[in-house]
Amino acid sequence: MTKLPGISCNDTSVEAAVREWLADSRMRMPAGLTLRIEVVDEIAIVDDPRESFLQGDVDIRAGEPLGWVHLTWRTAPAFARIEEHRAEAIVQLSRAAVEQMDYLLRSFLLVALIFLWKRDRRFHVHAATAIDSKGRGWMLIGNSCSGKSTTSALLAARGWQVSTDDIAFIVDRGQRVAVEGFRSPVALRPGGLALIGGKDGFPLPHRGKTGFLPEALGGNWVQTVEPDIVLFTSVGGSHTTIVPASAAEIIRELMQWSMWVMFENTAAQEHLDLLTRLGGQARCYRASFAPDLFAAPNALEDFLP
Amino acid sequence: MSNVRYLRHPDLRLTSLEGEGVILHLKERRYFSVNETGLLILEALKQPRTFAELVDAVLVEYDVSPEMAAETAKAFLDHCLASVVVEQLE
Repeated sequence: MTKLPGISCNDTSVEAAVREWLADSRMRMPAGLTLRIEVVDEIAIVDDPRESFLQGDVDIRAGEPLGWVHLTWRTAPAFARIEEHRAEAIVQLSRAAVEQMDYLLRSFLLVALIFLWKRDRRFHVHAATAIDSKGRGWMLIGNSCSGKSTTSALLAARGWQVSTDDIAFIVDRGQRVAVEGFRSPVALRPGGLALIGGKDGFPLPHRGKTGFLPEALGGNWVQTVEPDIVLFTSVGGSHTTIVPASAAEIIRELMQWSMWVMFENTAAQEHLDLLTRLGGQARCYRASFAPDLFAAPNALEDFLP
Repeated sequence: MSNVRYLRHPDLRLTSLEGEGVILHLKERRYFSVNETGLLILEALKQPRTFAELVDAVLVEYDVSPEMAAETAKAFLDHCLASVVVEQLE
């Protein structure tokens, strides 16, 4: 098991599961960040008057009057507290939550880590990333039904280097904005699975999907991608189209799919600036994917204007 | 000339891309698009400014008449006050 700094837990099996999950993800857990987990019999209820924002099945409350970020899980009792200006997430998990460890990690703990990693100036975007045969970085941004995963699987099958199909973090690399991918299976719904036809997948029961690592599809995994091309994705129609996005569309889409920028003051300006730099660094397009994408010899490249 | 001063809300964050501005209002958890002139005025309002100072800021940057600058600044300021993006200082 890879040793990762900054993680503590009163339950050794839970700690081991978290460490293994993070080691598999290849995400760094810098020494300055602390994830403090406690498995408890009963989660203390915090009276929080703030409006909740639902992300998956995690309720997020942030801003005034309490200031700190408050996360609760709808699947089973779990709580996280991340203070403004502190690089520490305090997490309490019930036994019922721990019994659903795989889902707990991806659903609840990932959101806590997204807030924690903000403090390391890594900002989450709902995006897939890949590198084509010419070495160009691609970033596909959009919601969970916008074709990111199926297209990622297609690109892996065409030999592209694939980083992530949804869990991407933008980081400042000096002159360039880079994107670090959280290594996890490309998750296909039955429709995507039928299009790809992969055989070496494994079930992801909580998500009703089938998972594939890029290698199982014929591609390679790569941790970091510097986007040269950004697509704001959707699915529909009979023909795949890719058309240039206006500056207003670019900035609006980037903010929408990295909405963590809106929750707290911590690093908000840096986050916003990095999104804007990404929009300026890459050629940005609106893309609508259709089945003809799968017949195109060069995949996405064939549809670029 | 009025000495009333204005200041942008402290929870605002601004950015722009190719002349398209975006204001993020952290407290309201909303974002707005603004044009280049609006962004210029909001940049100026990082510190308390009178209306006349805002008009001057527009005149420095754009080749327009004082009347046009005043009209533009007033329309934008009214919109910002209504949206609680800018506050009038007592």
